[in-house]
Amino acid sequence: MGVFNPAFWIFVSVIAGIYAIMALGLYVQFSLAGLPNFGHVAFMAVAAYTMAILAVRYQVPLLWSSLAGIVAAIALAFIFGIPTLRLRADYLAIATVAGGEIIRYLAMNLPDLTGGPVGSMAMLGPTKLAMYNGGWQAMLGAISRAVSSFLGVTLSRDAVMAAIVWILAALLIILIWRLERSPWGRVQKGIREDDVAVAAVGKDVVAFKMQALVLGAVLGGLSGLLLAFQIGVFSPDDFLPTLTFYAYLILILGGSNRIYAIPVGAIAFSLLYSGTRFLNFFPLSLFDSGSRAFLRLFLVGALLVLFMALRPQGLLGDRRQLMLEK
Amino acid sequence: MSVLLELSELRKSFGGVAAVAGASFGVADGSITAVIGPNGAGKSTVFNLASGFMRPDTGSIRFGGADITGRRADAVARAGLVRAFQTARVLTRMTVEENMRLAARAQPGERLGAAWLMPRAVARREEEVCARAAELLGLIRLQHLARDYAGALSGGQRKLLELGRALMAEPRMLLLDEPMAGVAPVLAEQLLDHIRVLRAEHGITICVIEHDMDVVMSLSDRVIVMDEGRVIAQGTPEEVQRNDKVIEAYLGRLAGAEADRLAEQAAS
Repeated sequence: MGVFNPAFWIFVSVIAGIYAIMALGLYVQFSLAGLPNFGHVAFMAVAAYTMAILAVRYQVPLLWSSLAGIVAAIALAFIFGIPTLRLRADYLAIATVAGGEIIRYLAMNLPDLTGGPVGSMAMLGPTKLAMYNGGWQAMLGAISRAVSSFLGVTLSRDAVMAAIVWILAALLIILIWRLERSPWGRVQKGIREDDVAVAAVGKDVVAFKMQALVLGAVLGGLSGLLLAFQIGVFSPDDFLPTLTFYAYLILILGGSNRIYAIPVGAIAFSLLYSGTRFLNFFPLSLFDSGSRAFLRLFLVGALLVLFMALRPQGLLGDRRQLMLEK
Repeated sequence: MSVLLELSELRKSFGGVAAVAGASFGVADGSITAVIGPNGAGKSTVFNLASGFMRPDTGSIRFGGADITGRRADAVARAGLVRAFQTARVLTRMTVEENMRLAARAQPGERLGAAWLMPRAVARREEEVCARAAELLGLIRLQHLARDYAGALSGGQRKLLELGRALMAEPRMLLLDEPMAGVAPVLAEQLLDHIRVLRAEHGITICVIEHDMDVVMSLSDRVIVMDEGRVIAQGTPEEVQRNDKVIEAYLGRLAGAEADRLAEQAAS
């Protein structure tokens, strides 16, 4: 697809919106509560697989299978949190790194349940093609038809999806923004600074951390569901550990501790990431397209290093706050 | 007077070293009690045990008639026993005001559901909290810094802020670990006044670890002397000053040095 194809940019904006929700989950955990979660992708994967398995194998309606996906993400948050949240932050970091990979390897090695490395379309075995998002596509189509009959403009399904994703992202950001400014958010920020001091004035630090972890898991799970709906079929390769780090990059690009910077970061990241695919001119055209894909990752990495060196507070961050001594 | 905090036979070892080796003492309701002793006597460990930041190996802790042995620190604080730390632990990337408000009790907005769904109840309580925070910031003379980040405060100001934050938690009793350490003399004098006011006007019981003997003698009703993890003497400041064991273990070293210096002066 060329640079000037609107369909391509609509697709990019859908992904950017999904990434914004994913990063919002990490924001609650990492930026707000100070919980280093390096396995955010696990919440996405667990929600997506739970939803797809229930929808494909048990014909559970999409709404209920999606809710079950969110519940599974919450359960995973408890599994990560119960043994580690009483300990130093490092232990949660280790548990989530390992947990994220365990989920992916389980998905890879339980082919009867998950379709294995082939992905969700092999869930019913090699002979039957399994699809989980017929209901979702039908809904997008219905909305698209309704819009065109009322307003007279024809919207593609991707455009409807982009609208849904970004409206959802905006609502969730407002919701979390309100929470951040509430006394609940104040306690979370205190815990991020010094959990001992917060315990000393009578706050149940472990319970607060668990709430942040679970809330982040719900948002992560939701973004996993949306990603699954968008791409139609998925495999363990769609939930690589790098996805977690994309979420961190979005927070860093926009400016950590700034919730309104998340959409900015998500858009900036998606532009960087998909924009670099148009670097097909000389001298880059000397590489074949496969090598250029790696070059793209390399360029994204280099840009981020530059960012950290020159503008550590992100696009919209407050340098003054960053420079305060502990 | 009744005993508010009672520690019985507390023991705590770290890798074979007994930091507290069977310490027992009580703090009377409404008193100012000082805990003194040489470095390594186990004073701070006793505070950590009493405030729930460490669990005793053996022994029991009673507060206000209830057994609080083994309760977590936040539960102990909610029961009314609030501590301040030797090096003040302020929340540096939050404002002075936020540091204070954070410690308020009974704010429904700290529950996830209420924070979203009950904005009016949250705002009503927040008004009370703000008023109380402003009042206490006046008491500790930090109101002009209310909107500054706590990370911009000096060491002495951080100590004051921590005291104020502890008061926001509506304590029945405060455990203060060297509240004067690192505080400029003028500020320290003010802090002493605050501590006296807290007891006199608010009826808050205070237990304080302090090294400055002048402060101990002028401030406290009762002094507990620790050495090598045990309580070696307790009584009024006058009684403790005259106690032979205390002079030997603690004051004695100073008195001896002073005597040596005088003898040297006489000889020359």
